[in-house]
Amino acid sequence: MIGPRLGRFAAIGLACAFALSTSALAQEIEVQPQHEEEPGSEVLGEDHSSMSMPGRDKPMDMGSMQGGRAPSDARNSDDYSDGYRNSTLPNYEMADKLSVPKILVEELEFVSGNEGQGANWSFLLTNGQDNDKLWIRSQGLKTSRERLDPESSAELLWWHSRNPFWGTVLGVRQDIGKGATTWLAAGVEGLAPYWFDLQLTGYVGDDGRLAARLKASYEVLLTNRIILTPQLETNIYSKNSADRELGAGLSNIELSGRLRYEVTRKFAPYVGYVWERAFNGTADSRRINGEPVIERRFVVGARLWW
Amino acid sequence: MHSLAMGTALAIFGGPLLASDRSASHGELAGTEFDLEIDKIPVNYSGKARFATAVNGTVPGPLLRLREGDVVTIRVTNRLDEMTSIHWHGLILPAEMDGVPGISFAGIAPGETFTYRFEVRQQGTYWYHAHTLAEQTGLFGAIVIDPREGKRVSAAGPALRDYAVVLSDWTDEPPLQVFLNLKKMSSYYNFAQPTAGDFLKDAKQLGLPQALKRRRMWNAARMNPTDYSDVSATTYTYLMNGTTPGGNWTALAQAGDRVRLRFVGAGTASFFDVRIPGVPLTIVSTDGQPVRPVTVDEFRIGPGETYDVEFTMPDERAYTIFAQSMDRTGYARGTIAPRPGMAADMPELDPRPWLDPIDMMGAMAVMETGNGGHGLMEMPSKARHARTEYGANTDMRVDYPRVNLDDPGPGLRDRSRRVLTYADLRTVGQDPDPRTPERDIELHLTGNMERFIWSLDGIKLNDSKPLRFRPNERLRITLVNDTMMVHPMHLHGMWSDLETPEGEFQVRKHTLAVQPAQRISFRVTADAMGRWAFHCHLLYHMAAGMFREVVVA
Repeated sequence: MIGPRLGRFAAIGLACAFALSTSALAQEIEVQPQHEEEPGSEVLGEDHSSMSMPGRDKPMDMGSMQGGRAPSDARNSDDYSDGYRNSTLPNYEMADKLSVPKILVEELEFVSGNEGQGANWSFLLTNGQDNDKLWIRSQGLKTSRERLDPESSAELLWWHSRNPFWGTVLGVRQDIGKGATTWLAAGVEGLAPYWFDLQLTGYVGDDGRLAARLKASYEVLLTNRIILTPQLETNIYSKNSADRELGAGLSNIELSGRLRYEVTRKFAPYVGYVWERAFNGTADSRRINGEPVIERRFVVGARLWW
Repeated sequence: MHSLAMGTALAIFGGPLLASDRSASHGELAGTEFDLEIDKIPVNYSGKARFATAVNGTVPGPLLRLREGDVVTIRVTNRLDEMTSIHWHGLILPAEMDGVPGISFAGIAPGETFTYRFEVRQQGTYWYHAHTLAEQTGLFGAIVIDPREGKRVSAAGPALRDYAVVLSDWTDEPPLQVFLNLKKMSSYYNFAQPTAGDFLKDAKQLGLPQALKRRRMWNAARMNPTDYSDVSATTYTYLMNGTTPGGNWTALAQAGDRVRLRFVGAGTASFFDVRIPGVPLTIVSTDGQPVRPVTVDEFRIGPGETYDVEFTMPDERAYTIFAQSMDRTGYARGTIAPRPGMAADMPELDPRPWLDPIDMMGAMAVMETGNGGHGLMEMPSKARHARTEYGANTDMRVDYPRVNLDDPGPGLRDRSRRVLTYADLRTVGQDPDPRTPERDIELHLTGNMERFIWSLDGIKLNDSKPLRFRPNERLRITLVNDTMMVHPMHLHGMWSDLETPEGEFQVRKHTLAVQPAQRISFRVTADAMGRWAFHCHLLYHMAAGMFREVVVA
């Protein structure tokens, strides 16, 4: 169903996704001090007084140390070359251009809760050099009393690094199951100050719907091997989808905590608990079907990567 | 954890007796003609059988004893099924003899013999190693160059006992696997990160506001205050002359003997903090260059560096040579004793403190806290960042780096022991080239720890252009470390003459460890025509891109 409608909504969707992305990146940029971009302003005078004030309880101003834009008088490292180029002899060190393939199975778990028993997955395959990677991202849930969870999907994305901690993704999402929609996807992901992992993606569907998905997580090191990961996921849709039994507006919020033990870095069994609530039309659909609006599940599984 | 197994490399095929003899005595080859063969040998350092890359059947390879002024011929045969190379670390020689694949030559293909031939123009302790990931698998050894006439004599007279002590780190994992692990998860080998339990402990001891404040700077910046080493004893077994701590490599000396130990930092990702409890150590030379003797209890040696240490054996008992890794996860250990088979008490590993605020903030942290304890300092000048440091490859820039050299480095500060600092190192004699540097090159050591990207001025090797030096010019290179790790920077082919913070000549070296958020300057006389390598000697940083080519033309 990738038809003419797609083009119509593509622009809106991308605009929407980038608006979301910008807001996340804006947070990053807020850390920047105002004086960074004025090369002429010798911050010495003004900063010196504040920095050297003894006993000040405010943390040091370190905003200028990360991110930001280069001042106009920044050095050009290539100037040192005087036009010379690197050697062209064979066997030059090329490891900095290595493509690094990684398979991360974040969640692979049995679930048991008020919607019966089943299985849940969330994985991410990445491959590429430091600044551009191919991403394949998928998540899904199937419980015995419900059909496939409507958020079950797979995405094929181009990841591009925009910042030391942030990257953007652009590509397609394919829903899995009844009433599957194909979406254009655009978003942002990264590591926010204080070590919060964020993924925010906007979608434009071939059925004319817009959607957004947010995932936020944090790793609490109880020890260096016992790690608690609280996670938030929420989905928003612009219109109803009867087939997917999803309503317009805020569709669901899922809060979870998984406690893993890293037997090795690459193999970590875990137990966890998930609380999920549907809202608006999605909640109505569940009520009509006699399903609970709030789902609770215990999970047990393994986090793997290689 | 360390295996207590005897970990000496034993060649099983083709002359085991000869090979194990060599290994036990660390094999020494002397003269002007050398034949070296690079091949795999079975080893067992960790309890698991593995293959190491050996030179003439031993790890480390044989000690090469050269004589200043000789023209030496070294035929290196590659018996591996992959390209390899040997680089003569710190030796002044023609560019095509330097052994860096892709820059000096094309490497040594499997089955091929490459003949190195050069005049030996210096004396002292140096070393050789592969300039590929095979360095991690054992391809290294010591070089000792005697003066043209007689043996080198230090202030205290000739040493009766003279041993090379090669410190290295061994992993059962293939080096490419280590690199990929770090690329996929940079904290892969760090199991000492701050935990919730540490936070509760701090909150109890310091109060909640202080516990939060202590973490705020690091967490806001997404920086890890325990980031000493990328690779730890989780996978490493630290070796002294190719011997595990349990194997207890032993040097012999009687009470009253004058002893010289020539330490070689052959760790691929490990700095070592070395001491011999009960024996003050007199540093007489670094990177092959005699320095004014300075006596310390402990010194830090980085990958690439060498230190000659002398002392008089105090009495007729055993002393432990203790070399703990900078991240305090393990140690290499040996013994100096009157007889074989003796052992002394083993010291405990030191605690692993967090990095200090000066390791992230440089001079700003000193201004903030008013703590000038680590040698300060006028209002420092602002670093000039490169345009390319404002991209994804650089997670941090230090605007006001500290310039103090009298700092033993993170983890060694505020000790009761006397620890060597770079400020203590003074080359004997005058500035070898007293010309005022004609120009300055500023380069920043940059990284993205989270993604394990390492670079200079934010540019990885294969995105960079070379540094051009003009023939015979005297120039100054200023390095600013924008990262929170210590980087041992090694310039091939030419000396690095470290300056004092005041800009005076201080010490001649070939590998300079630049501490976190520190600025150092060194002078170079560009008297070696051709193409050279300049890189961080942490192997995985070099592989990740912290590497520039230098062209003298």
